[in-house]
Amino acid sequence: MDSHWTGSDWTKSSPKLTPLAVYVSCRTFLLISYCFLVFIRCLISKDAMDGQRRHRILMVSDFFYPNFGGVENHIYYLSQCLLKLGHKVVVMTHAYGNRSGVRYMTGGLKVYYIPWRPFLMQNTLPTFYGTLPILRTILIRERISLVHGHQAFSTLCHEALMHARTMGYKVVFTDHSLYGFADVGSIHMNKVLQFTLADVNQAICVSHTSKENTVLRSGLPPEKVFVIPNAVDTAMFKPAQTRLSCDEIVIVVISRLVYRKGADLLVEVIPEVCRFYPNVRFIIGGDGPKRVRIEEMREKNSLQDRVEMLGAVPHAQVRSVLISGHIFLNSSLTEAFCIAILEAASCGLLTVSTRVGGVPEVLPDDMIVLAEPRPSDMVKAIKKAIHILPKIDPQVMHLRMKSLYSWHDVARRTEVVYDRALRCPTEDLLERLSRYLTCGAWAGKIFCLVMIINFLLWKLLQLWQPSKDIEEVPDIALLHDQRETTPWDSVED
Amino acid sequence: MEAKVEGNPLITQSKWRKVAYGGMQPGYDDNYTDESFLEDMVMNANVVKRDIVKVMRDSVSISQYICVVALVVCVWTYTLGATIDETSLLLLDAGLLGSGFLVLLLTARRLSINLLSHYLLKISFFISGLYVLAPIYHTLTRSISSDSIWALTVSLLMVHLFLHDYSGSTIRPPGALKNPTLTSNISLNASIVASVLIASRLPSRLHVFAIMLFSLQVFLFAPLVMYCIKKYSFGLHLCFSSLLMTVTLVLVFTLHRPLFALLLGLLVFVTVVCPFWLIRLQEYKFEINGPWDEAKLCFDITE
Repeated sequence: MDSHWTGSDWTKSSPKLTPLAVYVSCRTFLLISYCFLVFIRCLISKDAMDGQRRHRILMVSDFFYPNFGGVENHIYYLSQCLLKLGHKVVVMTHAYGNRSGVRYMTGGLKVYYIPWRPFLMQNTLPTFYGTLPILRTILIRERISLVHGHQAFSTLCHEALMHARTMGYKVVFTDHSLYGFADVGSIHMNKVLQFTLADVNQAICVSHTSKENTVLRSGLPPEKVFVIPNAVDTAMFKPAQTRLSCDEIVIVVISRLVYRKGADLLVEVIPEVCRFYPNVRFIIGGDGPKRVRIEEMREKNSLQDRVEMLGAVPHAQVRSVLISGHIFLNSSLTEAFCIAILEAASCGLLTVSTRVGGVPEVLPDDMIVLAEPRPSDMVKAIKKAIHILPKIDPQVMHLRMKSLYSWHDVARRTEVVYDRALRCPTEDLLERLSRYLTCGAWAGKIFCLVMIINFLLWKLLQLWQPSKDIEEVPDIALLHDQRETTPWDSVED
Repeated sequence: MEAKVEGNPLITQSKWRKVAYGGMQPGYDDNYTDESFLEDMVMNANVVKRDIVKVMRDSVSISQYICVVALVVCVWTYTLGATIDETSLLLLDAGLLGSGFLVLLLTARRLSINLLSHYLLKISFFISGLYVLAPIYHTLTRSISSDSIWALTVSLLMVHLFLHDYSGSTIRPPGALKNPTLTSNISLNASIVASVLIASRLPSRLHVFAIMLFSLQVFLFAPLVMYCIKKYSFGLHLCFSSLLMTVTLVLVFTLHRPLFALLLGLLVFVTVVCPFWLIRLQEYKFEINGPWDEAKLCFDITE
């Protein structure tokens, strides 16, 4: 081996092969071969990464743990399943009270609680350019390749997507709610959405009705919008071990008691049902401004022993409330995709719901009874549900739910969207500005101005705080064991 | 960019269903757009098709009220310039009150003595209260300069005209179903404050009482009287409005030429230009309804 390396130079400089020369030559050879091998390994691993398509995703939203809700749930479970698939996921949200800074959650999910306070309904104050420096730092530190924003109502999401596009990152947006077109708030929200989605790479909606709504509101071509529904953690929502007896039928309602969730419909429906069926009992969990009306209804009709009000139910106890009932009643007036129905079905309850928004798409027809949002129709639907209740087997329903919905399936489908987004061509500022001009006669020009200023601020920031000064975070590979995703509420700080 | 699997012709591709459960539908991408996309969308369901003649006839209410306000301003100007003295003002007030009552009686569906006595009682309270308070209004704005008063009055009258409820009446006629809205209350208050400001510029207490009575009579009860006439007979309403407009234009012509031109221009704009403009803009109306709309409750929420 030495003879290959000890070429003419060596023999010229040292006619005799001293031990020192041998030692030095061996070391040099080993060093060079090591470098060569590292280089080859990098190439291979890059190919492997391309083949494996390992993404580095930043999830941005105003809504995350310690808040509980549909969007928060979605981001958490999706991130956990993407981590299991081998991608890197980082979440960015605003500070909740004292909870500010970097936290780690199950599976190595890193969460940045940036020190912005929420000012209105959990949204941060929209400062347009205030989040640019911190977002840039996070994107460079974590070596992010793709930014995924959630929920049209979140100002942090819109700002982050705008900055990410300016800095050249690929962007995906998920819309979780339905909005109208006619009132002043909706008109403004839709204009903001049009601005954000003018330049997004791909969009995801949680149901087909939501896709139609988003396409109309934002003017996106329908081919850019993917429909990937939410799912439910079936391991957490298991039915009761022993089946409940059907002598007394218990109807469970768990929702925020607000106008949008149809609390007024409950006030009309419950006395009627209690009158027709003496063996029916109601359990109402949740709190809100309409709670007073429901308590009044309870007093006026003397239903204290038949209607039980539990108040706000913590997320960890939702399952125990659900398994104490036979039927789940959902009376919301608008719903893009109702996760509460999935949780109830996973616990083996038969669902009665209003036919609004995306609810008809959520469950097969034999697991749900739909009604128009009118008290008379809902009473008829409850009657039909009570009639078909004996044929329902909770364990069978639970097993069916396991096959119909799974967060791993959602993560895989989302991965396809990410691959699509990353394959989109990179565009420079001028090409992108032409898309903003189509947003409207006046609005288009204002949007272009906003983006140009954003671009200039970014360039300024690059001069002031060069990216090579920002330290990159090394990847920490946690040992994943094969147990199921840890439920959210058992996470410890 | 949907990728339909061009598979074995022996295996028929299952039909795409608009459902969210069951994972990805085999053979269809997640961004597949079916022909049934947006088929439940309903456009312009609640839009009323407008007819130009009807719109012009309805705009007469607005031009009529503008003339009423112009007449009030004329009377104010004449009083401030001492052209009308207080006795003639008081006679004018009495005449207006009498004719207003006559119209209400004639156009009421049921002639009831009870209602008449009810109104008379209210009116007498009103007049006596105003007489008692006249000295306060007399010295109210003594320390404020005249320019501020004129500027304030003009702005308040603008506010009054903008926010006025032209389809109904803020003072509820007996048997009316709808409560007055916030904006109509604001406009009424603006007109009352404008009257007080003008009244405080007058020399004697009797002047103040007379002009206050006149202004408040017109601003509070004229819409009610117009509403009763319109409800009784639309033809009568049109005749009355045209008479009123002619009288106003003649009066303003003798008072101030530029103001006459302005008033004429305004009346033409309201009666002719605005209806044409409205009809032209209606074709751009785009109302979208569909399954994503929030459901409307079919019952009233009684708190």
